[in-house]
Amino acid sequence: MVDQNTRPSSVGTSFQRTDLKDKVLGIAKYTADLSLPNMLHARVLRSPHPHANILNIDVQSALKMAGVHDILTPFNVGVGKIAPDVPILDTKVRFVGDEVAAIAAVNVYEADTAIDLIKVSYDVLPFSTNIDTSLEMGTPKIHPQGNVVNGGPIVEARGNVEEGFGQADYIVEDSFTTPDHHPASLEPRAALASWDGTRLTMWKPSRGIHADKAILAAALKINPNNITVIGPVMGAGYGSKDETRTSILAALLSMRTGRPIKLELNREEEFLAGRRRHSTSTKIKMGVKEDGTVTAVHVKTVMDTGAYLSSGPGVVRRAGQGALYLYRCPNVKYEGQIVYTNTPTAGSYRALGAPQGHFALESLSDQIAEKLNMDPLKFRLMNHVGPEGQPGERITPKNQIIDTQPVEGGVPFSSNELRQCLILGADAIGWDRRDQISTTTGPIRKGIGMSMFIYRGGPGGQSNAEMSLDEDGGFTLNVGFMDVGEGSSTVVLQMAADTLGVLPQMIRLNSGNTDNTPESPMTAGSTLTFSAGQAAVRAANQLASIVIEAASEAIGSTDTKGLYITPEGVCSMNGDGVKFADLARKAGLLKTAVSVTPGSKDYIVNSFGAHFAEIEVDIETGYVKIIKYVAVHDSGRIINPKMAEGQVRGGISQMMGFTFLEDMEIDHSSGVTLNASFLEHKSPTIMEYPEIEVIFANSIDPIGPFGAKSLGETPCIAPAPTIANALYHATGVRLNHLPFTPDNVLTALRKLR
Amino acid sequence: MKTFTFHKPTELEEASKLLRNASGGHILAGGTDLVTEMKQGVIKPDLLISASDIKDMFGIVWNKSGLTIGSMVTLDEIASDENIGTRIKSLAEAVTSIATPQIRNVATLGGNLCQRPRCWYYRNVRFNCLKKGGKKCFAVGGSDKYNAILGGNSCYIVHPSDCATVLVALKATVEIFKDFQRVRVPINDFFIGPEVDVTRENILEPGDILISVQIPKESVDGKSIYCKAKERQSMDFAIASVAAMVKIEKGIITEAGIAAGGVAPVPLHLSSTERKLIGYCVEDIDAQAISSEAFTDAKILGQNGYKLQLVQTYLERALNSVLR
Repeated sequence: MVDQNTRPSSVGTSFQRTDLKDKVLGIAKYTADLSLPNMLHARVLRSPHPHANILNIDVQSALKMAGVHDILTPFNVGVGKIAPDVPILDTKVRFVGDEVAAIAAVNVYEADTAIDLIKVSYDVLPFSTNIDTSLEMGTPKIHPQGNVVNGGPIVEARGNVEEGFGQADYIVEDSFTTPDHHPASLEPRAALASWDGTRLTMWKPSRGIHADKAILAAALKINPNNITVIGPVMGAGYGSKDETRTSILAALLSMRTGRPIKLELNREEEFLAGRRRHSTSTKIKMGVKEDGTVTAVHVKTVMDTGAYLSSGPGVVRRAGQGALYLYRCPNVKYEGQIVYTNTPTAGSYRALGAPQGHFALESLSDQIAEKLNMDPLKFRLMNHVGPEGQPGERITPKNQIIDTQPVEGGVPFSSNELRQCLILGADAIGWDRRDQISTTTGPIRKGIGMSMFIYRGGPGGQSNAEMSLDEDGGFTLNVGFMDVGEGSSTVVLQMAADTLGVLPQMIRLNSGNTDNTPESPMTAGSTLTFSAGQAAVRAANQLASIVIEAASEAIGSTDTKGLYITPEGVCSMNGDGVKFADLARKAGLLKTAVSVTPGSKDYIVNSFGAHFAEIEVDIETGYVKIIKYVAVHDSGRIINPKMAEGQVRGGISQMMGFTFLEDMEIDHSSGVTLNASFLEHKSPTIMEYPEIEVIFANSIDPIGPFGAKSLGETPCIAPAPTIANALYHATGVRLNHLPFTPDNVLTALRKLR
Repeated sequence: MKTFTFHKPTELEEASKLLRNASGGHILAGGTDLVTEMKQGVIKPDLLISASDIKDMFGIVWNKSGLTIGSMVTLDEIASDENIGTRIKSLAEAVTSIATPQIRNVATLGGNLCQRPRCWYYRNVRFNCLKKGGKKCFAVGGSDKYNAILGGNSCYIVHPSDCATVLVALKATVEIFKDFQRVRVPINDFFIGPEVDVTRENILEPGDILISVQIPKESVDGKSIYCKAKERQSMDFAIASVAAMVKIEKGIITEAGIAAGGVAPVPLHLSSTERKLIGYCVEDIDAQAISSEAFTDAKILGQNGYKLQLVQTYLERALNSVLR
C-alpha cells in the first residue's frame, strides 16, 4: 500500500480532459446526432420584415401536404413566455429572422417545402436598425414599454465625479464603438423533444440543464417534476447557448403531435436567431492630476440589444466594472443603457460587456498617459487597483457576502496580483525596447501596446455536489453543472480526487441529466472552477470522513486517527488496510451530499491580467501583423495548466475576430443581415492566430478551492485595447471603432498622409 | 433545395444537347459554388449535368505553344503541379490563395472562372437585384464596402475569380464548346460586364461549355506574380488584387500583361498600363507613377474608397517585384 507521504496530486498537472478522446475519435454525440424512433423534423418560418404585426396566418395548404403533421403559430401556442419580453410565438415580429411559425414534418425537405405554402399577412411597421433611430422621437416602440430598457440607464457611482474632475489638472475624453460580434459556434442550436403523454424529455446543448428545465416548465406550464433535460456534448458554448425559442418550439410540437421532434437551426439561422455580443457606443472621461493620480472616471455606455433583452442587464452592468474598479480612484460613475433595435438579438457571449468596456477604458488610459507625457505602463503601475481595494467605506453589512462586482470602496481583494501581471508581461514582450522599435519611414511601422483588466467570476450561485463510494469500489461525483467545452468537469474531478486522496480516473463524474443530478446554477460568469470546485472539495472531504469511519469498523479498529486514504484503499499506520471494493461490499453504499454558497464576507474575489502585443502595420494596405502576443493572468492557482493555457489561447484567437474582422452587417434599408455565414462573418482562422506566450502569475487565492480563481472568460477582455494601443504606438493614429479591418485602418491612417 | 434531374454524360455533344433543351440547366463541376447557391435558394435549377465523365475537360498538357489546362482540373491539382509552380508563378500563387484546402480539393478551374459573384445582395434571396432580373442594385446606397470601384455602371459586383485575373494578365485563351463546335476566345473577351448583360459575367449561353484554358508560350516564358489583398488570410476573396506578367530581354520589356481583381465586374485588363511598360527599359519604369495613373476612372461608392488605395499599392508592389 502507498505511503501517506506519496499522497497523489493531480491538481497542478495537465491531467487529460475527460471528454477529449470521444471528441477526437468522433464518438461524442451532439444533440443533432441524436434521433428517436418515429421522430418528426421541425423547421421555423422566419419573418422577412424587421418590424410588423402579424394579422393572419393561413396554414391550410401547408397542412394538406402529406408529410406535414403540425404547425405552430402565434394563434395556437398559448400564452407562455420564454423571457419577460419573449412569448412562445408572438403576433409581432421584431427583426428579419424572428420566429413566425414552426412546422413538424416527416423530414426537413417536406418541412421546407411546406413552409413556403404558409401565407402570412403582415401589417408592416416602421423600424429601427440602430440605436440613434431607436432613440428618436416618434420612432415606433419595439416593445410596449419603449425602446430604452427600463426607461433609462443603470447608474453606479462611488464618491463624486464632479468633485473629482474639479481636482484634475487634465481631463481627457473620447468616444468608442464596438461591433455586433457573433460567437459563430461550430454547432448551431438544436433540440430534440419527446413527450410521452405525461413527461417531457428534452435533449439540447445546454449551459444549465436545471435552469433550462425551469424555463421549459414556466413557458409550457407543466410541472417541473415531469421534465427531464439532458445536455449532450456541447459543440462550442461561449456562454451564448441558449436564451432562444428553439427548445420550447420543439417541446410544444412534440406535445401536440405525440411524436419526438428534432429542430436544428441551419448556419444562417444560428447567426440570425442565436445570440450576438452587444454592439456598444461609449463616452468616457478621465481626470488626472499633474503627478498622474487619477481623480475621476466617468463612463456612459449605450448597448444595442436588438429585438429582445436576453441577458442585457447582466451585460451592461459588466461593461462598467472596469471603469468603476480597475483604477484606484475615489470618484467614479458608470451609466449603462440598453436600447432595443429591429436587429438580431444580443445576449451572453464570453466575458459579456467587459471587452467593450475595457476597449474604451484602456484606450483612453493610454491617451491620458500621453497627455501626462508618461509611459503607459508606468501610468498603470502607478494607478492600478491594489490588493487593498478601492478607497472608501464598506457599505455591505459585515455578515453579508461581498459582491464580485462591487462599487463601494473599503473592501480588500482575496488576492490581487495585477502588479505582478504587469511586470511579468512587460518583461516578456521587452517593453524597455519600445522606444527603439518605432519607425517613421517606409510602409511598415512597428509598435508595442498593452492593456490590463479586472473581472468578476469565481463565486457563483448555490452549488451542490454528491459523492459516493459505490458498490464496485469506484467513486462517483454527481454534479448538476454542465461542461460547456471549457473543461470544468476535468478540473472539478482533479480537485475532488486530490481532496479524497485517490486518482481522478477512479472517480466517475455524473452530470448532464436533471433526473439524477443535484440542482446547479448555469455555467456562466467564469464561476465553475471556484464554485462547483468548492462543492466538490467539501463533498470529497465529507466522503473521506465517512469512508475512514466505515473502514475503521471494517478493520475492527476503534480509532480513525491512524487511518488514511490511498488510491488502493484505506490504510492504517500499522499496516492494516481495506481495499475500496472490499469496503464497499462490507459497508454498502457510502455517500454524502453538500451544498455551498460560494463567496466571501471579507474579500472581493476577482481575477486580473495584462496583455501585451508587438505588431507591424503596413500603412499602405492597412494590414496588421502580430509579431508577438503575451498574456499574463492572475487566476489564482492553476488547476490544469494545459487546459488553462488552451483557454487563454482560445480566448485571444477568438477576440482576434472581434478586433480585426467580425461584424454583423445589417442592410439599413431592409433590416436584413447580409453576412450570416462563416464565409462572410469572418471568424479568424489558424492563419490569424498569432504567436502567444501565456504566463500565469504566481498567485494562490486564500478562498478559492486549491487557491483557484476564474479564467473562463478573462482571456477575451484585453486583446482589442492591447492591439489598439499598439496600433497607436506604431502609427500615431488612434482607432476608436472596432473592427480594425483594412478599410477602417486605411481610413484612419489617411490622417497620417 | 428543389428537386432536379441529374445526368452524367461522357460526350460534350450530349451534355450540350441536354443543356440546350432544358430551361434552367446547369453544368456541375466541383459544385462548391453551384450547390451553395442551390442550398440558399439563389438558383433553383431543374437539371444538373455533371462534367465529371467528359474526358475533353480534363488534363494539364504542355506543348510547344504553351500550356492547356482542362476546365475540370481541380485547383489543388494546379497548386500541386511542380511545373506550373516553377514556370507560371502567378497562377500557382492565385490557386493557393483561394478558399481552403478542402475546397481546393474539389473546386475546378472552370468552376472558378464561372463562379457567381459574392455581392451580399446577389447572394441573399431577400433581395431581387438587377443581376437576378430585378430592377435595382441594392449595393448602391447600401453596404458597398466590397463592391466595384470601376466599371460598375448599373451593377456593382466585383468578379470573384482569382484565376480569372491571372489568366487575363497571362493573355490566355479559352476553348468553348458552342453550337456543337469548338471555338477559341481570348479570355479578355470571355468575361462581360453589366453593360453587356447584367444577368451573367461571361459569354457562355445555355448549352455552351467551357472546355479548357490555354496559356501561350510567350506568357509562360515571362515572369509573373499575383498579389491578393484579403481581410482574412484563409477562406476569403480578394478585396483587391493584381496579376502582372512581363518578359524582359536585355533590359527591355518585350511583353507585359497586367490585370486587377476585386475592383470591377470583370477581371480588369489594364492595357494602358501595359503600354507604359512594353518597349521600355526596366530601369526607366516608375512603378509608383504608373500605378497612380492606372485607375483614374475609379468611381467610389459609399464605403469602398479604400479599394482604390489598395489596388494602386498592390499594382506598384507587383510591378516592383516582377521588374526586379
